[in-house]
Amino acid sequence: MIETFELTKKFVTEDIETIALRNVSMNVEKGDFIAVMGPSGCGKTTLLNILGTIDDSSSGSYKFFGNDVNDLSERQKTDLRKKNIGFVFQNFNLIEELSVYENIELPLQYLGWKRKDRKKRVDEVIGQLNISHRKNLFPVQLSGGQQQRVAIARAIIANPALLLADEPTGNLDSAQGEEVMSLLNELNKAGTTIIMVTHSQRDASYSRRIIHLFDGQIINENLNKMI
Amino acid sequence: MLGDYFKTGLRILIRQKGYTILNIAGLVLGISVFTFIFLYIQSEIRYDKQWTDYNNIYRVTSEYSVDSKVEKIALTPFRIAEDFRNMFPEVVSTTNMFFTDPSDINDVSSVTYNGKVYEIPDITLSGQNFFNIFDYIFTEKSSDSVLSEPNTMVISSEIAKKIFGNESAIGKKLSTVVREYTVVGVFKKKCHPTHHNFDAIVSVSSLEKKGLARLKKDWYWLTCYTYIKINDSVNPDNLASKFNSYADLRRSKLSGEEQLDFDGYFINKLEPVHKVHFNTKLQYDSPSNIDISYLYIFGIIAAFILLTASINYINLATARSLKRAREIGIRKVIGANKKQLITQYISESVILTSVSFVLALSLVELMMPQFNQLVGKDLTLVGSIFSGEGIVFGIILLIMILTLAIIGGSFPALVLVSFKPSTVLKGNYSIMHKFGNFQFSAGLLRRFLVTVQYIVSIGLIIATFIIYAQMDFLKSHDLGFDEENIVVINTPDDTTFHNRFPEFFDALADNNTIANVSSAMNVPGYTESKMLFYVGDTLEQNIQTLNFYNISYNYFKLLNATIIDGEHFKPDSYLNNENYFMINEAAADFLDLDTAVGTVLNMPYKQSFKSGKILGVVKNFHFSSLHRDVEPLVFLLNPNDIRYVLVKFNKGQDEEAIHHIRNVWDEYNKGSFLHYTLLETKLESLYKGDNNMLSLFFYFAIFVIFISSLGLYGLTSFLIQQRTREIGIRRVLGGSEIQIISMLAFVYLRVVFIAGLISSVIVYILMQNWLNTFAFHISINGWYFVFGITITLVIAFATVTIRSFKVVKEKPSVSINYSG
Repeated sequence: MIETFELTKKFVTEDIETIALRNVSMNVEKGDFIAVMGPSGCGKTTLLNILGTIDDSSSGSYKFFGNDVNDLSERQKTDLRKKNIGFVFQNFNLIEELSVYENIELPLQYLGWKRKDRKKRVDEVIGQLNISHRKNLFPVQLSGGQQQRVAIARAIIANPALLLADEPTGNLDSAQGEEVMSLLNELNKAGTTIIMVTHSQRDASYSRRIIHLFDGQIINENLNKMI
Repeated sequence: MLGDYFKTGLRILIRQKGYTILNIAGLVLGISVFTFIFLYIQSEIRYDKQWTDYNNIYRVTSEYSVDSKVEKIALTPFRIAEDFRNMFPEVVSTTNMFFTDPSDINDVSSVTYNGKVYEIPDITLSGQNFFNIFDYIFTEKSSDSVLSEPNTMVISSEIAKKIFGNESAIGKKLSTVVREYTVVGVFKKKCHPTHHNFDAIVSVSSLEKKGLARLKKDWYWLTCYTYIKINDSVNPDNLASKFNSYADLRRSKLSGEEQLDFDGYFINKLEPVHKVHFNTKLQYDSPSNIDISYLYIFGIIAAFILLTASINYINLATARSLKRAREIGIRKVIGANKKQLITQYISESVILTSVSFVLALSLVELMMPQFNQLVGKDLTLVGSIFSGEGIVFGIILLIMILTLAIIGGSFPALVLVSFKPSTVLKGNYSIMHKFGNFQFSAGLLRRFLVTVQYIVSIGLIIATFIIYAQMDFLKSHDLGFDEENIVVINTPDDTTFHNRFPEFFDALADNNTIANVSSAMNVPGYTESKMLFYVGDTLEQNIQTLNFYNISYNYFKLLNATIIDGEHFKPDSYLNNENYFMINEAAADFLDLDTAVGTVLNMPYKQSFKSGKILGVVKNFHFSSLHRDVEPLVFLLNPNDIRYVLVKFNKGQDEEAIHHIRNVWDEYNKGSFLHYTLLETKLESLYKGDNNMLSLFFYFAIFVIFISSLGLYGLTSFLIQQRTREIGIRRVLGGSEIQIISMLAFVYLRVVFIAGLISSVIVYILMQNWLNTFAFHISINGWYFVFGITITLVIAFATVTIRSFKVVKEKPSVSINYSG
């Protein structure tokens, strides 16, 4: 599903060049659940952003379902993203002006779904995630765990092939974190491919594969012992 | 989707109340003031454009020169209307209308109906053609050719309502002291904006035959306004020159007293009727005429006010957009494309501008009565917008608002949507860096825009100072006579009353509140006459046209004007059937007389000549507005030709004096109203236009400085948003509150100061030009500029301080962690 070959990302300021990713080559199969781990500043989020097409690599290739993402225009990337990729962030990134329902509905709007279809799908997902009773609330009225549930609902609303999660439990207490992780686990079992950046060994334990990054390079890749 | 954009947009606007109110307030004010100025300009340029075929209607004016002195006059001889009609086939129709002194608001005629006296402010004379050329709307009329019969009259609907209530006016008889008139028509006075200002017209054929015959013969007596309507294809200049050749030929064949042999020319010119309103160069013209350059100035100010409001709008929208970078980032990650994001921003912008537009028009409607009072008009928003070019204005305004909405929405959107979402979502400090290039160019643009705003603001403030100082100067300027405590009474054209004048004067003077009584045909501040004078013993040479006053005894004493040579008119001067003149210094200089006293003057007067000696020379006094220099003026002692009675009362006894005047008046003038004006009030009214300009500039200045301050407030918010962390760090390092506020203020105060310098130069040139329209004016003082710039700097500093205070007061630990 995903193939990267020697992905490199450099940040250049006036006099310093920082290399965030160095020759990262990896394959992701459909149905995978990968945890990306490593110390702060090792390039985890940069890698996730490039995989999510919200950032570009400086060199190397990135193929998504066999198509070279580097060849795509900004418009095509947007298109690819909204049809195939869902995002979950550490700080949830919900739009405060929109209600729970409207936040979840948003990707479908951008996909051009009809109102009736959108309603049907949103109702289905919020039922699945058990947040139906909160659909008219606004993000500030929810706890962190609840907000992350909403963010996950929004991420999966369009049935993406790939779910990218950037420290999804980073802002949550352990109980809420546990809850979110089991939710991701269920989604993976149902067929969603997940790539998750995390600091937490416990969260990583839910994955099938762990990739360790250090200074922008993959230093270790192993199948999770738990499985 | 669009509905969702609006819903979200509305929520965001409600959430960010402060920003929304600030932005709407600025726009509402800007659009309102712009609309008001537009309505004003529109009402002015509509003058005399509503008549059918107005493009073919011309007014005939006169221009003559005597001894190289050129006079331009709105009046013509009576006869030329007929000459034009009879001799030139290209002329479709002609009419004339008699001059009634429009500068004298108390020049009111009384008419009697059913034994009750009513007043008509302005009655003139004209013929049946008048309403063929000017298609006034009639509410009722007896036939299609009103005013064709003698002793008929048409009246305005206001007058008809006053006299006859709801009854039909047609066929009713109204009497003046001279004769009885039958009402044959009722017209709507305000149906079209026009330079005419009559309330009633009497048929010209009502004039006594002898007088009419004389009018029909005279080539030089300028008595009426003449209008002609010509065929489409006719060139008015050619027609005028053809007419002048014809008239020259006719005049050269005149003989005897009809012949005026002078060194100069006399021509008539044609001026399009719709341009009359903007002609201020002619004497004896409509007092409602204005200088068109005022309209240009107002138009420019209106454009600047709208520009200022638009600049604010865009600046505030850009400033606010930074706060929303994260939201845009999320939307992009989720899959929003550029078009969708820009549409969303524009939707919000459209909501904001539409709300402002509606509020602005409501405000205009609400403030209309006050505005009408300010400009002395009777405008309505609906009447102005839903008619003719009003619709065009409405559409233009709407397009402008939409354009503003689109620019205000897309400008920040284009910037924001070009960011990588990964950057935007990371945190805000880095956005600021990414903004770098954009900010540099946008910052320059913003500074330029702010400079323009402040050039206008400071310019208006300084201009207001200068106009105020000039008006104050006019009020305190020594006119050369005592204008205080003088009542000017209008007298009716009633022979019985005129015969009782001596008794009337004695009765007026017989009171201890009254200091002096005199009478005259002409009074300072009112219209003066122009006469031809032959200087010296013969009628052959040295003919001059001079200003002329008919006055009575006591005139100079009452005005406290100084005689510098010769003597006053003596009480018996007139009785021994001799004519006596006095002249002012300017006339003595102009005529270049070695010894003025004793020089003989001759003047044609009412079909004969008056010949007499100059008795004395009066020190110059200002008999017209200070726009004009003191011109040569000749006084004739003529106690029989009287229009005004002047009464000087003792200081502080105005109420008692007026009570006494009223009692005496009622005794001598039963059934006629007393009309009087304080001379001071009349003289002040000469500067009505200038005073109007002062109040308009004053309000404009307040609006512009207010809108600019709103803008500065918004920009300061922007600045603070960008520099909150920096402010925190500076505070941690020991920066005092005042140091930090000054640092923020300095960014824009520098701009204001530069704007002040640029503005000073422009205002100096413009105001010097304006001051030059006065023969007497102040000299522009550097302090006006210092004050203007200082006031603006203080307001700007206060604005920045108010906005920065909260952030500067904030604990540095909070601001240092600020993330946008």
